[in-house]
Amino acid sequence: MNASIGVGPRRRGTHPVAWWGWALLLATAASRTANPWLLLLIVAVSGLVVTWCRGDEPWSGAYRVFLLIGATAIAVRMMFYIVFGGAEGTTVLFELPSIRLPEWAAGFRLGGAVSAEGALAAVWDGLRLATLLVCVGAANALASPRRLLRSVPAALYEVSVAVVVALSVAPQLVSGVARIRRARALRGNMSRNPVNVMRTVVVPVLHDALDRSLALAAAMASRGHGRAAGVPTATRRATSASLLIGLLGLCAGAYALLGTATPAPAAWSLLTLGAAAAVFGIVFASRRVPHTRYRTDVFGPRDWAVLLSGAAAVAGTVLSGMAEPGTIWPATSPLAAPPLPLYAACGVLIAAAPAVVAPTRTRTGTG
Amino acid sequence: MPMTTPSSPRLGFRPRSLLAVVLAAAFGLVATSWPLLAAPGGALTETTSGPWLFALLLPVVTAVALIQLADGGMDARAVAMLGVLSAIIAAVRPFGAGSAGVETVFFLIILAGRVFGPGFGFVLGNTGLFASALLTGGVGPWMPYQMFAAAFIGLGAGALPGSNAAAPATRSGRAVEIAMLVVYAVLASLAFGLLLNLSFWPFAITQGNLAYVPGGGIGENLSRLVAYSAATSLGWDLGRAITTGLLIVLTGPVLLRVMRRTARRAQWH
Repeated sequence: MNASIGVGPRRRGTHPVAWWGWALLLATAASRTANPWLLLLIVAVSGLVVTWCRGDEPWSGAYRVFLLIGATAIAVRMMFYIVFGGAEGTTVLFELPSIRLPEWAAGFRLGGAVSAEGALAAVWDGLRLATLLVCVGAANALASPRRLLRSVPAALYEVSVAVVVALSVAPQLVSGVARIRRARALRGNMSRNPVNVMRTVVVPVLHDALDRSLALAAAMASRGHGRAAGVPTATRRATSASLLIGLLGLCAGAYALLGTATPAPAAWSLLTLGAAAAVFGIVFASRRVPHTRYRTDVFGPRDWAVLLSGAAAVAGTVLSGMAEPGTIWPATSPLAAPPLPLYAACGVLIAAAPAVVAPTRTRTGTG
Repeated sequence: MPMTTPSSPRLGFRPRSLLAVVLAAAFGLVATSWPLLAAPGGALTETTSGPWLFALLLPVVTAVALIQLADGGMDARAVAMLGVLSAIIAAVRPFGAGSAGVETVFFLIILAGRVFGPGFGFVLGNTGLFASALLTGGVGPWMPYQMFAAAFIGLGAGALPGSNAAAPATRSGRAVEIAMLVVYAVLASLAFGLLLNLSFWPFAITQGNLAYVPGGGIGENLSRLVAYSAATSLGWDLGRAITTGLLIVLTGPVLLRVMRRTARRAQWH
């Protein structure tokens, strides 16, 4: 139906970095509020976008798994509240037998009164963590990991090639196990004894995989892979220095943040400068790697639109935080239905835009 | 450029790689254990955005350490071997996912780090967990921490005393090597559990007796952390330590032999 959207010479769906950016922005919005309506709205928006925009790849089912993980997070938080206590309240739901642990065991109280206010606070809090996890699950379901690997900085070229090799070898490993088990069965060896399985299945599979890696390495080496690229020593030194200075800055900044000796602005700026130097080093190191790419993955206007829609959600919560702070962090005692923050809700609704802007192409379309 | 090629798929460990790894370790220590180390009134206890910042900066730090390690020291053999071993890690990881405390990844990283050296172990910890997260769609906020920890477990296994490439000549020497690896595996698994707990403790629980108190100082928070660990993850941590040690005892002799054979065969220069 939307055949006209996906047609373009290099158009292959939304960029995975755009999806991750969108999901992390949505997660940032969720981390800035404890309003249950807003959190549920974020979950609904992410679910809508996932159902409209995901493909039918193996990872597309990740969203459901993360929904389950989120539900577990809420249940665990609730259990923690019931067993270990938390916020106190006046509306007591029921009373558990309570034990006070002795001083040497930290002196905690176990059990005791369970109040509606405390339970509600625990659920809202668990819902916030669950929403963060669900946002991450949306990114997992939407972004193609193989295309994401193409966006790894070029300076990490060798490492990303190793991951690509791993992703392609893993299925071969499974077929290798099947082949060797069949050969073993043909020889009449049906033993389930672990020692026997180790000797006749695991060791041959490992030998097979490692020998294959040597053959692969020989093939790569004979095609000129892995030779030290002709980079001038001065450039190499400069890159290295920038990377190390960045690391030093990050370390110094992190330690300065811990203590009280350094004023906070100085510590933050030290951390920022270190991060900037490290990122500059990575970019610089990527520039000097003379590797060409086949069909570079462009970050097009639609990817920017996806990213901006995520930013709208954050902007909405920030605006609500300034204009109506009581609705963003609703009080649980006294018991009352929390109001819906207007600006934040509008922002989160805008974040549903990818469902319209970047839906999956139908299989009968351009393909 | 005349650069001596290593004689097997081992990564060269030059002074600046060492410096990068040490600095990365220092940063990682703060990024995980800031709840204990943050002094009352310090900048980190005044805000809530600090921990998120650490989770975002950890990948940058890991990338810098990897670039320094890979720069000029990684040939096609190392890349291919890393790829295949990462695939094996990704393939065995789901076996440990279903049951509490069964950890099927560390023993492979430890054995491979032992045979191929500290630099290789560091990169393998990263690529193995990254590949398995990509294959299973399990990329989450915990992944930078897990990759970082696995990398240092591999690095430590490679840095243990004794020769990496050559097997001990005597039977008792081989037994001592396995015993050393088992002790290392148990200690590393326990430390991993504690540090991972620390990294997400302030997010997992925010109210009650077990929660992190911002600005509480080490005395207040340490007892809360110990109680939290005992209540939530002690079984998992012990299970992880036991399964890793057991797997090394059971599979270590065979796997070390297989990998050392491959390392010997890779010397084709």
